[in-house]
Amino acid sequence: MARKLNWIILRLLEAALGAVFIYAGLQKHWHPEEFAEAVLAYRLLPSSLAGLAAAVLPWLELTPGALLVLGFKRRSCLLLLGLLAAAFLAVLLITMARGLQIDCGCGLFFQRQVGLAAALEDAFFLAWAAALYWWDWRQAPDQPLPAAA
Amino acid sequence: MSSRALKEDLAWAVFILGVAAFFGVMQHWSMVKVSIRGELSRHLEERRAQRRAVQFQGVKTVSLAQAHALWQAGALFIDAREPREFQEIHVPGALNLPPEVVEKEGPGTLTGVPKDRQIVVYCSETACDAALKVAERLQALGYTQVLAFVQGFQAWDEAGFPADTSQ
Repeated sequence: MARKLNWIILRLLEAALGAVFIYAGLQKHWHPEEFAEAVLAYRLLPSSLAGLAAAVLPWLELTPGALLVLGFKRRSCLLLLGLLAAAFLAVLLITMARGLQIDCGCGLFFQRQVGLAAALEDAFFLAWAAALYWWDWRQAPDQPLPAAA
Repeated sequence: MSSRALKEDLAWAVFILGVAAFFGVMQHWSMVKVSIRGELSRHLEERRAQRRAVQFQGVKTVSLAQAHALWQAGALFIDAREPREFQEIHVPGALNLPPEVVEKEGPGTLTGVPKDRQIVVYCSETACDAALKVAERLQALGYTQVLAFVQGFQAWDEAGFPADTSQ
């Protein structure tokens, strides 16, 4: 009974995380030009690659987000979303260190600038994905924790 | 066993990443092509101008030189950026009025300012819409001489025009 309840809570949290990334991905997918402007504003990529990044990044959120909600290859989706959040956190910290005051282009809830609030929000999603990966691993039968491998 | 499972997780993650990247490129192929040709910035400027022509129809704009001349002539400058940016540096004499403040205060915005006062609204740089949003809202509130300076504070500062850094 407790194991079943555990599994339900895990799935609910995974679906919620997937839904957040679907929402964030759709915001960017529906407004590709605005998102491309946001990518350019970070001044990390040459203009020739910024369009590619603006085209691909929304789908890197949408696809694993949707698969996570559907329950397909959940740990792989969590890995991808965690890596995405970690990479974005690094970009935010680099941008903060450079002193650029730009819109974060996060596509979440409301517009916000690159800064501590955006970094904390991203770190929260990174921790969420990492915790669920660890929890999902523990739920799998006959599999020790990655740390114990 | 755990190592194999981890490898399997990673392999599937790479596969999903590939599928996602493929869909992204297919969905926005025209933008990717423009970007590879090195014309993304120009393309975005054109699309932004088209969007603004529809979204902010009726809002008049001014160039950098015109904005400077109006400032020298005593026009009221409105800074539509976030308070943190305004506090760091702004056009001397400007008032800080981000779009959300105008929305919140409604008709109480700019109390005491004559409706026919020359007003110039700016935000941070060309890509931001805040100046146009505030200018449009002020027009709706009855101010008749409102202009948006869309090149923004970045252009003003780069031109070496006066700036106020006092808090």
